[in-house]
Amino acid sequence: MTQRIVALSGYFSRTLLRSLTGLIYILLSLAYWRVMFSPDQRTPDASYYILVLAAFGVGLTFLITLTIASRANQAAHVAWIVRLPSRVEYLTAVLLTSVLFATALQLLLAALALFRGPELPLTQIMLIPPIWLALNALTAVLALHATDFVASGWSRIILFGLIAIFLVGQSLNAKSGLTTWLILRVNDLSRSMMGSGWMIIASPLNSFSGWLQQDGPAALSNLFSLPFWPFHAIADAVVAGSFNTSQALAPAVLLLYATLLIMLAADIFANKDMDLTE
Amino acid sequence: MIEISNVTKKYLNLTALDHVTLRIPTGEVIGLLGPNGAGKTTLFKLIAGISSPSGGKIKPANGVWPQIGYKPERLLFPNHLRVHEYLAQVAKLSNLSGSQARHAVDASLAKVNLQSAANKRIKECSKGMRQRLGLAQILIGDPPLLLLDEPSNGLDPSGQSEIYEVIHSLHEAGKTIVMSTHHLPEVTQVCTHLVILNRGQVHYENSMAQAMAAQSHIRIRAHKPLEEFGASLLALHDEIEVKDELIVLKGEAMFMRRQVLVMLLEAGYDVVRVEHNRVSLSEIYAEAVQ
Repeated sequence: MTQRIVALSGYFSRTLLRSLTGLIYILLSLAYWRVMFSPDQRTPDASYYILVLAAFGVGLTFLITLTIASRANQAAHVAWIVRLPSRVEYLTAVLLTSVLFATALQLLLAALALFRGPELPLTQIMLIPPIWLALNALTAVLALHATDFVASGWSRIILFGLIAIFLVGQSLNAKSGLTTWLILRVNDLSRSMMGSGWMIIASPLNSFSGWLQQDGPAALSNLFSLPFWPFHAIADAVVAGSFNTSQALAPAVLLLYATLLIMLAADIFANKDMDLTE
Repeated sequence: MIEISNVTKKYLNLTALDHVTLRIPTGEVIGLLGPNGAGKTTLFKLIAGISSPSGGKIKPANGVWPQIGYKPERLLFPNHLRVHEYLAQVAKLSNLSGSQARHAVDASLAKVNLQSAANKRIKECSKGMRQRLGLAQILIGDPPLLLLDEPSNGLDPSGQSEIYEVIHSLHEAGKTIVMSTHHLPEVTQVCTHLVILNRGQVHYENSMAQAMAAQSHIRIRAHKPLEEFGASLLALHDEIEVKDELIVLKGEAMFMRRQVLVMLLEAGYDVVRVEHNRVSLSEIYAEAVQ
């Protein structure tokens, strides 16, 4: 299995590296370095260095994953796919190539940025790659779910719809438009139920409306924010310059998210009708 | 080797395969015939695992999926690769490495007569070369099950006969082959089984020998009407027909022709003509898809 995955990863890497798209990614990385870490400017802070490169890694991983998945989804590879005992090996090769390629470019940029960059002690340098790698892995899996290569039926609509709901939900507060809209709809429903004599439903709806006007939005916002805790924790720790005990778990939680999403992607990919492009 | 049980495949409102049940026996060459849109390519995709059935099951008879060599009807390649690079990648995916892989690539190129193009980029290859390359890639790693969707498509007559020679040698090597084609004479030459699909259903399935024998018949014409003697011939076998001076032997009754001739002569009839009418595959096909 390892030989097959390595052979496929090598092929995808070589193909991307020798293509115009691969060259564009390399030039994009250099341009990003020139703009964000210009040697003419003053030395950036360590936190700036870590976060700006993390953002670069996330963006680049997303784009590279889309590119490689699109190439992997071509009918030119059908005879190879049929040879594999499991389609998941093919998916693994795409994921592995995307993460490694993007991380390699990120590390190249990181090395360039150290030129007239922040002076980081070795212990702090050792702490940085796991943060970037966890973010890149999660981004690559999310990008895979966004592609025709993995998506099947409504899968990407459901997944990204859920993420959107959580993103919007975490900004809920008592004065937000969404909260006001929700309160009005619940009140309307409550009155309608009361008018029909269905007090057994109207009464809890009335209580729910009251809760939404007081503690509800804050509680819901906290609930929706919970999945995003690792991102906040990493950003806070990087700005503070060190991780406390709970913050140190954040990259591991991101890897857990990535693992769950990989399992979901593998399940979808293994059972879908492959719609290969010509 | 593979059992296909009650398989249905639907694409939105289109039923590409409708309750298809087939057995693909080990070591046989199955010729899959049918008009365009009959469901042949869909069946190949299901066996190859590119698509999943909407209903029914496809499973290996011994519970373990064999490695599959698949040549789709319209085989596309990563055009930037050289011929030998493409085949080397197939070898790696077939768990071959180093000298084993190189040997497998060389052997497959030799088998399809493509050694001269080994260093060519695939985009520079002609259509015939691509067809040969499609066939070369299925030979690597020695997969026991080969799926060939129109293997001779786009080849000139000599190229076609070379391809069918390769298929014949693969059969002799014990491979199980499922192939589709529109060239009926080649089916007669290389296939041991015949399956005719039409509108997603199996309309005909038989071994090639039985298919040809079942539809053939022998006509014996006497010099005068057989009258009462005809009844004694009818009693010999169910598949004997008598009408006036004509006797028709079908199916297994064809093996009784010598006995019938002797009886006729002994009864004092002269035999005017004996005809062995062999039915062609195109007649079987036409009857199955009409």
